[in-house]
Amino acid sequence: MIVGKIISIFDVKVEVILEDFNIAIGNILSTEDEKYKFEVVSINNTSAMCISLGSNYGLKKGSSLKLFSKHIEIEYSDKINGRMFDSFGDLIDGKKLESDEKRETSVPAVELNAINVESEMMPTGIKVIDFFAPIEKGFKMGLLGGAGVGKTVLIKELIHNVYTSSKSHAVFVGAGERSREGIELYKEMEEAKLLDNMSLVFGVMGDTPAGRYKSINTGLTLAEYYRDEKKEDTLLFIDNIYRFIQAKAEISSEMKELLIENGYPSNLGSEISKVEERINSNKNGSITSFQAIYIPADDLSDEAVQSVMSYMDGQIVLDRHQAELGLYPAIDVFKSTSKLIDADKIGKRHYDLVEKTLQTLSRYNDLEEIISVLGIEELSDNDKQVFYRARKLRNYFSQPLFVSETFTNIPGEFVNIKDVLDDVEGILTGKFDNIDESKFLYIGAYEKRYK
Amino acid sequence: MNEEIEKRVDNVNSKIKKGENVYSAGHVINVENFIVEASGLDDVSFYESVNIANKAKGYVFGIYYNKVVIAITSKTDDIKVGDGVLAEGHEFRCSFSLDAIGKVIDIFGNDLIAGKKFDKLINVKLINKPIPIMDRSPVNREFLTGITGIDMLYPIGKGQRQLIIGDKKTGKTQIALDIITNQKDKNVVCMYIALGKNKKEVKEIYYELAKRGASSYTIIVAAFNDDLPTNIYLTPYIAMSVAENLMIQGYDVVAIIDDLKKHASVYREISLASKKAPGRDAYPSDIFYAHARLLECGAQHKNGGSLTVLPITETKNADITDYISTNIISICDGQIVLSAKNFNQGQKPAINYGLSVSRIGGAAQSDDVKKVGAKVRQKLLSYLDVREVYELSNEDEMPEVVQNQLHEGEKILSALNQYKFSPKSKKEMLDSFKFIDEGAK
Repeated sequence: MIVGKIISIFDVKVEVILEDFNIAIGNILSTEDEKYKFEVVSINNTSAMCISLGSNYGLKKGSSLKLFSKHIEIEYSDKINGRMFDSFGDLIDGKKLESDEKRETSVPAVELNAINVESEMMPTGIKVIDFFAPIEKGFKMGLLGGAGVGKTVLIKELIHNVYTSSKSHAVFVGAGERSREGIELYKEMEEAKLLDNMSLVFGVMGDTPAGRYKSINTGLTLAEYYRDEKKEDTLLFIDNIYRFIQAKAEISSEMKELLIENGYPSNLGSEISKVEERINSNKNGSITSFQAIYIPADDLSDEAVQSVMSYMDGQIVLDRHQAELGLYPAIDVFKSTSKLIDADKIGKRHYDLVEKTLQTLSRYNDLEEIISVLGIEELSDNDKQVFYRARKLRNYFSQPLFVSETFTNIPGEFVNIKDVLDDVEGILTGKFDNIDESKFLYIGAYEKRYK
Repeated sequence: MNEEIEKRVDNVNSKIKKGENVYSAGHVINVENFIVEASGLDDVSFYESVNIANKAKGYVFGIYYNKVVIAITSKTDDIKVGDGVLAEGHEFRCSFSLDAIGKVIDIFGNDLIAGKKFDKLINVKLINKPIPIMDRSPVNREFLTGITGIDMLYPIGKGQRQLIIGDKKTGKTQIALDIITNQKDKNVVCMYIALGKNKKEVKEIYYELAKRGASSYTIIVAAFNDDLPTNIYLTPYIAMSVAENLMIQGYDVVAIIDDLKKHASVYREISLASKKAPGRDAYPSDIFYAHARLLECGAQHKNGGSLTVLPITETKNADITDYISTNIISICDGQIVLSAKNFNQGQKPAINYGLSVSRIGGAAQSDDVKKVGAKVRQKLLSYLDVREVYELSNEDEMPEVVQNQLHEGEKILSALNQYKFSPKSKKEMLDSFKFIDEGAK
């Protein structure tokens, strides 16, 4: 049935003169040949504004549109296991699927009374995370970093360590990231026979703004299936949540909405809250999420970055200077933390060691400035000791990762937090003072290894 | 042939009988520098090709209920209000010729050195569908540049997107030219895409490549700084579209885009001229997308062909964290950072080894190179870090471990030094690092 005709066309927006007013916001319209599809975003008494799901290239003015579906839907059954979808719920892995049941991708968030906050610790085997920003089930972990400092590597290591060691189902959402990484993840999971418990949704960076924007909601629907229907604890990996806001900014700009600083949409906060409030644990099960957050222009105070960060229970901030020194994972220890850094939760020993480590590294930064002007000989013996211990700590927190084996040529290691605490204590108390700092570079546990 | 024409005539006649529009026509109502608005054109399509009174050509990039916005791509005479506008009934397309190897060309099928159009032209679409994820393969074949600092430490694989970034006069274009000349007899098609460069620069590059025997496999696609902004904006998309087609046919292609900062500012000019809301640094909100869809053409195709893309970006004051640079870094699979400080100190190529990254890394290296490369990189970065700490110290007072490390570091740096147009083979590279293993014994 024809609902209207297109009268204006831009890159991601079309306006439709309506003949039939029985349409609602969120409806999907298409041309008669179904080559072009649109989502209705606003309606008035003559026309509807729509965003294009695909490219408008070649679309003719005056084309008739029909109602294609009520909303974007995705499979909501066990058939999602091991499959790869695009943002609109269509399969893109080249295999067929006979649909059992579909469900709308845009649904309300979890209510307050349904939210579950009880939890248990979840080791990741990555030294910096377990030590500075430990995680528990149901956590939201933000991995923040500018361009090219190692967010994706860390996400992949977490998939390797957390997903492969658990029996949980996992959902991977690739929002606005590289297609190359998409195919590599898919092939790696397939080869490791780990694909069956994972579902993937991709709206890659070459996709239209709508494609990148919708990928998050579509992916969340799959995570909700595992949580609510299978009653399981689910893992959710999002790379990269910032691209979702960026895509929304592109759409808002095209819709001629009034924008706030740096061209972000004025409803930035509510857009993010609608997504983040869906990622919650309830009586059925938990969703533990790892969300990479891109920092545009290395500007941590960016409005979108700050908004997303406020929902995180823990954060790892990656730092370009550490990366420059070749120390991966390149984290900024002063900005990386989690809600669990509390003596009641992780125990007094762990807490004290974190405090002491931060003090030592903070002093190290001061001393580095002094050295660059005066040279190392001018330091007092006490400061020299702090300086060398801090360098050992800094080196110790680098780690050979499983997913970067091909790059470092060093086998990856899963490190137990107990060993990390012992080693850090050893370095801080001077037990290893006579050992060269290079011995601490790219290792797992130190004492356990050399004992 | 005649049959086809007759068929078309019949087609048009039957449309006229039915009272349908045969073609879409209108009139110019507003003229700006490179943007024209027209009334009429009632059933035009988005990105349709448009002819304005045989004086100018362009494409439709905005359709309102009462007017159409046209971007002009070429112009031979002044456009006036009231000029007739004809929509040509097909999408906007550019031209390419397979005879373009060894030539300097534009996107309209002209041989710029000879100053004439090619005889055999093929149409190139402006927008292709993105290459689906399942049509790609992991990047794992080595692409040798002949530059030790790249092949050993931050390797490039076929199908990788590796950014070359640095200030003015740090040797960015030189690295690109070195890479092109190293592809001789390697069955790789090279494409050098010059955006907004001046004509003299491009001609010099043309002669430099010809002199070194690179003409037989290199195409130079150029849009000069005095061309229309739309032309500069479109050039990389058209060139990449050609390169992508070659990849799908099974060729290994490398495309160098020099440079994307210029492209970003041209795109900003067009966007602001068409009254789009400015975002960060006044760039339009979709500047990331504009570059992402361009660079996502780079791939290792499942059928064996590959398109390696080496975009170049210019920075100011060695700041690689500005908006456009970080955008492009976040799209690419790594970056070669060039530093003015290193350049002035005589280090050639002036690579900043700390800030350079390859996300493909050892996956695209042969085992022997990977083993040595990983070791050299780790030692070099430790050396650069330690060198800073002991910069002001007296060498005699240093611990012996540190002294050895500093000596070894200097040796590594000098082994990485390489003059322009002097590519090394893998064996030569490995030989120059023999001292690494000897030192360990």
